[in-house]
Amino acid sequence: MAHFLLIAVVSARQSLWLISRNLTIIRAGGENSWEKAEKIGATVLGENLARSHPFPQTLATYLHLAGIETGYGYFAPNVPGPGKLVFEIHFRDGRVEYESPHVNSRAARLRLAGLLDKMGAEEYEPLRKIMVKMLASSVWREHSDVESVRALFGSLVLPTIADFQAGRGARSDFLYGYDVINADLETAPQNPPKP
Amino acid sequence: MRRMWDRFERFLFTPESDRWLSVLRIGLGLQVLLYELSLRGDWNYLFASTNEGLIGRQLGEAIVNLHSRLVPEVAWLVEAGAALGLPEGTVLTAAWIGLLGAGVCLSVGCFSRTAAILAWFIHLSVTTSGSFVAYGVDNFMTIGLFYLMLSPLPDRFSVDGRSDETSPASSPLLGFWRRVLQVHLCFIYFFGGLTKCLGSGWWDGSNLWRALIRPPFDVLDPEWIVRCQAFLPAAGIAICLLELCYPIFIWGKRTGKVWLVLICVMHLGIGLAMGMYLFASVMIILNIAAFAPAPPAQALGVDSAAGEVALPAVVR
Repeated sequence: MAHFLLIAVVSARQSLWLISRNLTIIRAGGENSWEKAEKIGATVLGENLARSHPFPQTLATYLHLAGIETGYGYFAPNVPGPGKLVFEIHFRDGRVEYESPHVNSRAARLRLAGLLDKMGAEEYEPLRKIMVKMLASSVWREHSDVESVRALFGSLVLPTIADFQAGRGARSDFLYGYDVINADLETAPQNPPKP
Repeated sequence: MRRMWDRFERFLFTPESDRWLSVLRIGLGLQVLLYELSLRGDWNYLFASTNEGLIGRQLGEAIVNLHSRLVPEVAWLVEAGAALGLPEGTVLTAAWIGLLGAGVCLSVGCFSRTAAILAWFIHLSVTTSGSFVAYGVDNFMTIGLFYLMLSPLPDRFSVDGRSDETSPASSPLLGFWRRVLQVHLCFIYFFGGLTKCLGSGWWDGSNLWRALIRPPFDVLDPEWIVRCQAFLPAAGIAICLLELCYPIFIWGKRTGKVWLVLICVMHLGIGLAMGMYLFASVMIILNIAAFAPAPPAQALGVDSAAGEVALPAVVR
């Protein structure tokens, strides 16, 4: 029973979160009861308690062991535009080259796409910065004569059917960029993060 | 109140044959094999530490550790390997071989319980450490392997089961674990369908269009999709309703078979049209294990009352 209750709370909470943020066809309005309901879900999961408290710790462990720590809103409520990351690599001899993070297999490409989507959706700027920094570190591993790397992150705006029929393809929207200054991977944001 | 509790207990513990468990074991064994083979070229790169891998496993591990330090992760394996003097790359390769071996053992039913626990542990470890590169298929594999390792293995169709004469043909415990999987799938589809219904793009077909042309899922030629654009709204609404109504119709004697076929066709379609083969296969395996009709009771030597289990007691 408790197992099913947890599945229901975790799943319902995700739906309530989407509604409270006005990401669905339901308008949440000023008096946001959806947000209150979502907070009740958080309380049930012990998220209002200190992280060191045994209740949320035990619950989080069980949720992860059973694979029920997230809800099931795949491609919902809407399908977002895919994230795109490009490294502008500045070499010591003045050359500039462009590269994207790459993997070998199709299965890994699906995972890389998921990673870029998560980067695009991440609202916590310091975490996003660390993610970019980690990904950029591969550039230094692969090229020995790199001076600096500028990481440019954007989102692909997919065409509608009408756009496609009119010959218009996908376009990239720049979201944010970071200068990864040197090999010890210090980063400097180029622009304030978008809300 | 007492009567309701009795009905609920009957619903949970209806005796069930072990056929579904065989489907789950063999299916997840093959799923683990496909998962392993599909990632063989990128395994170390995806799950290695910061200075070696794509994004570095430490970041994912640190985030999970904020909530709990008891969730298995690759760091545990690497530390154990370091104690034996093994470098990280060797430990990761050993983990890959271990998971592959567990997949083979599950497929044939050899050391079933140990293989299920090993598969769950290694897969969960890499999913935790690679949480930034994980997606739906990992969640569903964890769910399937979690239930599999807790279910009453071995089944009679496994190598273990053939040599173990104490394996029951039918038991309330087998029924219980199948019921847990069934109810879990109902939650998955209900909330998946509900969240889709809340998006405007599933009602006019635009989400389906976006999903099909979105890299790296753009397997189909967009020109061909445009030619079929009249079907997109209907297909989008059908997916929403199929998922949202799953918890109602999957239990019915007649509608259950229809819904099972439709949902499997939907996943097959997603697999082929979007190149999400592993996602499609794990969902089809879980659905067939959970809801494929039980074979005739006599054929399994199950008494008639126990054989009548496809429909839960509360629905009858």
